[in-house]
Amino acid sequence: MAIAGILLIVSWEGCNPLPFQFFSRIVGRSIAPTELVPNKVADPIRKDVRLSVLWIGHASTLIQIHDKVFLTDPIFTKTVGMLAKRSVEPGINPASISRVDFTLISHTHMDHFSYGTLTTIPRQGRLFVPPNALEYVPELGFAETLEMQWWKTVERDRVKITSVPVQHFSGRYGFDSPWMYNTGYNGYIIEYAGVTVFFGGDLGYNSTLYKDIGVKFKIDLALLPIAPVEPRDFMKRIHTDPAEALQVFEDVGAQWMIPIHHSTMYQGLEPRLSFAKEELDSIVTARGMGDRVFILRFGEQKVWE
Amino acid sequence: MNRMKLRQILLVFLFSFAATAQDYPPNVNRTSSWIIYQAIPSFSWTSFPSQKNFAFEWEVAPLVYSWGMTKQVSPWSSFIVNPVRRFTGSIELIFSAQVYTSNPGASNFGYSAQLLGHFPLIELGEHLALNLGVAQYVVNNLSSTYYVVGASSLFGLLHYNVKYAPSADVWINAIEVRLF
Repeated sequence: MAIAGILLIVSWEGCNPLPFQFFSRIVGRSIAPTELVPNKVADPIRKDVRLSVLWIGHASTLIQIHDKVFLTDPIFTKTVGMLAKRSVEPGINPASISRVDFTLISHTHMDHFSYGTLTTIPRQGRLFVPPNALEYVPELGFAETLEMQWWKTVERDRVKITSVPVQHFSGRYGFDSPWMYNTGYNGYIIEYAGVTVFFGGDLGYNSTLYKDIGVKFKIDLALLPIAPVEPRDFMKRIHTDPAEALQVFEDVGAQWMIPIHHSTMYQGLEPRLSFAKEELDSIVTARGMGDRVFILRFGEQKVWE
Repeated sequence: MNRMKLRQILLVFLFSFAATAQDYPPNVNRTSSWIIYQAIPSFSWTSFPSQKNFAFEWEVAPLVYSWGMTKQVSPWSSFIVNPVRRFTGSIELIFSAQVYTSNPGASNFGYSAQLLGHFPLIELGEHLALNLGVAQYVVNNLSSTYYVVGASSLFGLLHYNVKYAPSADVWINAIEVRLF
């Protein structure tokens, strides 16, 4: 109630209905039922595969490169940050994930670094966190936790993982974001057995950064965020819209792209949850990129044999 | 600070959970920000046998030991305490000062020292943690020992603690805001 009151006052005082619109969107979703995902993959870890990606929802993906399994920004909880309810359930049952070798966290925001999720997934592998994020890492029982400064590369079990800079922001509680201004977030390049994957996490458009990544790595697959989109002036610096995500895809020179960070929960003021996905779909169709950009359904697994 | 700036700060604070934010000023000094945040008061209602008093309360934690954090960071922290260090399991020494809005006796001011433990219950304590501890309050030149039990929620930012001094038969209900 107190937060609602403050929001109302701030909205009224500044003649800016933005916070009220955000709040009403979040409250509206909290009473709506969560959409279920049919036909979930029961055994996502395959015996013989070159590369596969299962989109769990938001920025959560299960990546398999040959015999190695990677989980990105896993979120399996019903809410994010206690208040924002997810609109669609996770695209996989966490109990179906028998093994994770590398869990990658792109930044400390609650929709990417979920304590409640990380205590429910297999933790025999390694946890990677962005620069200066150890201050936000509880003891979770992973075999190893690595804090990855930008451009740092580590090799474990013949897998090379490089932390790359992206344009975003960090912190966890809002009031800590100012002093985490230029740190606490990253993307990851995964290199293993001739396959290179770029996990973008959450980012805004910056041609210099992404062209630089494209020069340094020959990327097969880029996982790139496409939402939230609106209000654009508010989001632009920190979130790519579908067109900008496609530009990042071109800048890094990847062969294929899978969009992430969309359709899972309301984070912007788009007219509907599927807005970014639909916009991407229409651009991809218009440009004839359907054989390079794969828009996955919740729980869908794309496999390269 | 103009109204626009104030509104931006409030917006950033309130909507960070939705991962939507406006531009931030670069390289904001952590200590100066922390000092400003500490000005936000906590609230308490003290029930003396003969009267009830409302008070504003300000706290600092000069020493915190956290057992729930990754072993790669020091378990000790002082004054500037990331909420995750509290709610994942910790014990902290707290000094606080109270200003009573109505005079409870000899003075409108009180002070206290507390030893408070936080035990995670839901989502490693980020959603709910149990608080247990002891406190020594000095009010009206009367020093009393209190037992403390309560809970913290909302990412460790909001605490509700009930404190009871059997010797003086005084109850304190406290809503505490802990921003770092």
